[in-house]
Amino acid sequence: MRFSCYLVLFLCSTFSFSQDFQYSSLLINKELKDNANAVVRLDEMVVDILAQDNMIIKSKRVVTVFNKKGGKHVNAYAGYSNSTKVKFIKAVIYDALGNEIKKIKEKDFVDVSAVSGGTLYSDYRVKYIDYTPIGYPYTVVFEKEIQTKNTVTIPSWYFLDGYLVSVEKSIYTVNFPNEDLKPRIAKKNEEEYRVELDEKSNSKTYSLNNIKAIKFENHSPDFRYIFPRLQVAMTKFHYEGYNATLSNWNEMGKWMYRNLIKERLNLPESTKTTIRRMVKDAITDSEKARIVYNYVQENTRYISVQEGIGGIQPISAAEVDRVKYGDCKGLTNYTKALLDVVGVKSNYSRVYASRDKQIDVDEDFPSFLGQTNHVILNIPRENKEDIWLECTSQKIPFGFVGDFTDNRNVFVVDKDGGRIIKTSAYLEKQNLQKIEAKINLLLDGAIKASVLIETRGVQYDNRFYMEDLDRDKILEYYQDTWPNINNLVLEDYAFDNNKREVKFIEDININAKSYARPSGERMLFSPNALNKNSYVPKRYRSRKLPFQVQRGYLDVDSYIISIPEDYGIEALPEPIEIVSEFGEYKASVLEQEDGTLKYERLFLLKSGAYPKEKYGEYRNFRKKVSKNDKAQVVLIKK
Amino acid sequence: MNNFVKMAVLFCVFTQVSFAQEVKFGKVSKEELKEEFYAKDSTADAVVLFRKVNVSFKYIESQGFIIEKGVHERIKINNKGGFKYGTVVESLYQGAKSKESLVGLKAYTYNLNGKEIEKTKLKKSDTFSEESSKYYTKEKFTMPNLKEGSVIEYKYTVNSPFYSSFNEIILQYDIPIVEQEIEVAIPEYFTFKNMTKGYLRYTINESRKPGNITFTNKTRKVNGRMMSTEYSTSKLDYIINISSVVMKDVPALKKEVYVNSMNNYRSAIKYELQYTKFPNSSIENYSSTWESVVKKIYENDEFGNQLDFKKYYKEDLAHILLGKTSENEKMNAVFSHIQSRMHWNDIFGYSTDEGVKKAYGLKTGNVADINLILVSMLRAAGLNANPVLVSTRSNGVPLFPTRYGFNYVVAVVKIDGKNIFLDATSKYNKPNMLPVRALNWAGRIVEKGGVSSSVSLLPDNKSLESMMMEISISEEGNGKGKARRTCTDYIAYNFRVSNSELTEDTYLEKLEETYNGLEISEYQIKNKKELGKPVIESFSFNKENAAEIIDDKMYVSPLFWFAQEENPFKTEEREYPIDYAYPWLDKYIVAIKIPDGYKIESMPTSANITIGDGIGHFIFHIAKNESGFQVKSDLSINQGIISSQDYKGLKEFFKAIVEKQTEKVVLSKI
Repeated sequence: MRFSCYLVLFLCSTFSFSQDFQYSSLLINKELKDNANAVVRLDEMVVDILAQDNMIIKSKRVVTVFNKKGGKHVNAYAGYSNSTKVKFIKAVIYDALGNEIKKIKEKDFVDVSAVSGGTLYSDYRVKYIDYTPIGYPYTVVFEKEIQTKNTVTIPSWYFLDGYLVSVEKSIYTVNFPNEDLKPRIAKKNEEEYRVELDEKSNSKTYSLNNIKAIKFENHSPDFRYIFPRLQVAMTKFHYEGYNATLSNWNEMGKWMYRNLIKERLNLPESTKTTIRRMVKDAITDSEKARIVYNYVQENTRYISVQEGIGGIQPISAAEVDRVKYGDCKGLTNYTKALLDVVGVKSNYSRVYASRDKQIDVDEDFPSFLGQTNHVILNIPRENKEDIWLECTSQKIPFGFVGDFTDNRNVFVVDKDGGRIIKTSAYLEKQNLQKIEAKINLLLDGAIKASVLIETRGVQYDNRFYMEDLDRDKILEYYQDTWPNINNLVLEDYAFDNNKREVKFIEDININAKSYARPSGERMLFSPNALNKNSYVPKRYRSRKLPFQVQRGYLDVDSYIISIPEDYGIEALPEPIEIVSEFGEYKASVLEQEDGTLKYERLFLLKSGAYPKEKYGEYRNFRKKVSKNDKAQVVLIKK
Repeated sequence: MNNFVKMAVLFCVFTQVSFAQEVKFGKVSKEELKEEFYAKDSTADAVVLFRKVNVSFKYIESQGFIIEKGVHERIKINNKGGFKYGTVVESLYQGAKSKESLVGLKAYTYNLNGKEIEKTKLKKSDTFSEESSKYYTKEKFTMPNLKEGSVIEYKYTVNSPFYSSFNEIILQYDIPIVEQEIEVAIPEYFTFKNMTKGYLRYTINESRKPGNITFTNKTRKVNGRMMSTEYSTSKLDYIINISSVVMKDVPALKKEVYVNSMNNYRSAIKYELQYTKFPNSSIENYSSTWESVVKKIYENDEFGNQLDFKKYYKEDLAHILLGKTSENEKMNAVFSHIQSRMHWNDIFGYSTDEGVKKAYGLKTGNVADINLILVSMLRAAGLNANPVLVSTRSNGVPLFPTRYGFNYVVAVVKIDGKNIFLDATSKYNKPNMLPVRALNWAGRIVEKGGVSSSVSLLPDNKSLESMMMEISISEEGNGKGKARRTCTDYIAYNFRVSNSELTEDTYLEKLEETYNGLEISEYQIKNKKELGKPVIESFSFNKENAAEIIDDKMYVSPLFWFAQEENPFKTEEREYPIDYAYPWLDKYIVAIKIPDGYKIESMPTSANITIGDGIGHFIFHIAKNESGFQVKSDLSINQGIISSQDYKGLKEFFKAIVEKQTEKVVLSKI
């Protein structure tokens, strides 16, 4: 037995001389294997800026994959378009010992359109390898060379580019011919890492070695705020036919307005007349804007087409007016054009839109394209909060942006100078849900209830779409919302979507058999029938990352419960009140003079960012809420 | 009989009426624009007012026959949710030499502007052509000036040289269709079989009409010293067989839960080319019966032939079979060799891609590459092994003889008169357990020479999940104990598929979350990788608030966090079968020790419920013992697929289960 061990070792070492031993996966540092489905052995990029409109990007990425899940870290692909060419691309696969098992040449790469869901057409394409692993671990060496005129697209760099993957060596180099074409580079999240910089007169090289894998944990901040990375931008650049030199938000705003927007605001006379006529009785700018916004919502829809400069420049307002559709850029610009006609100032604004992450445009790092994925419209107001319009939705109320773009820094393209502004925020108590109900508990344990639900803020955002659902879907919604009520029957419903106050009201009547369970002489039931919050954050054996509650809200419940005459009350849950730094919780159920029960509940969840040490406390808070929400009333036969 | 005649007469009248109302392209009425919703389905976001599909064959001298599919659709957009029907995408196939094309697109949007009808034309610049991959191009367009209440209308023709792959015409959309006319005109040289799919009823009317092809003949003539070229034409007459369908008020296809793929239930006419017989040439067979379909597949170089190559694995086989004597041992050895050696590239198909020899060397291939190697090797080992053609769940159920009905192949070995199915494309299934994707009613065993017979693929042994738990409850209502969970068959397979690559910590975090915040320690797992054996997990646990204390009483849910608290079936009615894929059994045995100073005041009663002819069975047994009480709960579903007729029974069955499992045991102080 011992002998064969030696033999294996011996074989390995002989292989190592004849083969490319550097690609063997046997010698990877143990620390890098912990929690890693793959190890990036080398991730190297060299950006050669040859001229304002000529950039070559060479990269080499070597990844050892330990299992199926690790396959996604290979990242052997190259995107291209009419303005970005793939000059060279190649991949070689090695087995665990470093023996070459497959070579993939340019023609063997799969070449497909890179149209994402929701986009009708785009000229972006991608080449990628389609490789079926025949054993683990294996190593992929992937090299590519890309050339583009669009120097503005200079890539930023992630030293670590995912969870459950570690990195041996990551290097980013940029070569530039002169100071004018030297990119601006900012290091981010480097506190726990030692990023090394080697700076020469015509180049800069950043490197970081031995980065351990990070495990994803619920409620952790977005990876952009955790992973070590570089933000890179050109001050003097070329983009789709344009040359520009822009180093701050102010200039960038002016430039974008002048070159990308100004010429695209024309509208046909007929439309101008229509819109002028529509606003003629409106007095304030806000009223005019409301009418214009309503007109846009009634007359357009969202269709995305991305081609060449169209990736950043809106299609013209006249074109939107003809076809009555556009993407976020086109529809925002169209709304702006209409507002211009009626004399209301507005600004085209770039934002990073996401429902579950509030990501700011980095005020300290101006960049032409970066950091955003969406466009909204800003209407500045004196001495009042600005109005923000989401022009791609035909349904959301005027001035309401919801959790898609709220409370984050956006880049406002003002013709007098661009700037960074924070959008409207929907905080804790503004995200209100109020439930009032009359619940009748019947002798056989069934309930009948009439329920009134009012939602505001982000909770409104999660509800108002219901008015468009059909009865089956609405029933399905309530059945999912109240999984604790089996056999739910929706007797009738009426919704009131008050767009002006941004308030949604559900007025419904329900009944359900066997809600309460008789056990012997007793009948048990949970007075909190309509708003059980059972969420308890997952336990981590040792939490590594800080956490945050992204979105706070307030729920207030008040139910009057009548109980069957044959029963008397045996036991009621004790009233409870919890106040913690994460929020507040109050619940009580009291017998009233007329023999009914009154259940009252308040749950306030605060938004906030916390260190990992507090995670246990946060879990405890949610556990207590969950437990008390399940509390039961015991009735006994008289 | 009399009734039938009446029906037939009625039907004739009915169809005549519908033919009488010719819908002309471009003639959109104000009524259509004014209509606010479709009375028969007021919730529809959009409604197809009229649809016409005309399929015909056209002869082109340089190419031969091509298929022309003319499409004309008129759609009413009722609300903003219907805007998505304003975008149309046609996927066109391109082969090495020829490709499909879309021609003659005309499209308009109609709106009512006051009293006037406003007509907006789709411009060329509003159409897009996207080369999605090597084989497909997508032609897309989206209608201009779309509003709530708009009517859109478009027509175009798709030309296809690939007549043998003419496959199906869909008759049902996700939105209702008020009226549609489908006409398929096929020259006598082609014999297609048509089959109906889905739940809608309709009649296919057959008729004939004459057709002809004019050929241009070029002849060179030498007349003395003069040379001239003369053109002459000749005409070939033939018969065109027409089948047509007229349908009114076709309901939208609505989604339901526990259905494998909604497309299996979408109504359509399927076409399958059976044979061609051109003038002066002999019959070429494509398919007509299951036997001939399978024979055609078998004769394919990428199928039958592949089974005969043996040399490439000869040495490996000899090695694998060393010391194996029984048929079972041999089968297991060959299966696990191929299962571990070969790595599936996620591509389906019953014909090989690389070919078995090359695939074996590369250690990767499509389904056929892998499973045909398996069959061949099993045969070489002296076993009675055959390939089985299968249609995966996503491909639909093959009810009629068709080559396109199959897209997958597995192996079967017959030992002592019993069929054992094998599929080496998945890493986590044992012999006689096909991956869920292949569990689709029946397959077709192909024996040597291409003789075939149908075989049921539905598993009949139950997949088991059993949980044994001992728990003692403290005076504070907290729980502490030990548990042991055993999974077999598909439950074990699912466990291995989803958890094999997780670290233990990550898995436990997930498990704790599933069990409502149970805190787990001393975790052990057995047979994580031994595919033939059940997965057995055991652990100790702590759980806060395992029982609820109200005043001086304690309320215990006898199955704790395992109780089924929610009925999975909520809708009143159901049209489609309930598809669990395999039969299963859920078993719980829980022994509960109650805290000192408490006694059992009341307990739920035991129960024993059966539904249908043994479709499902639920036993709940509860009894006191010295230290507390013991509960046993068995729930079994004995069929993988349950017909929609049994839906109401099944829903009631689960209602009873939920009620029983959530009833409480009441403890009171002594």
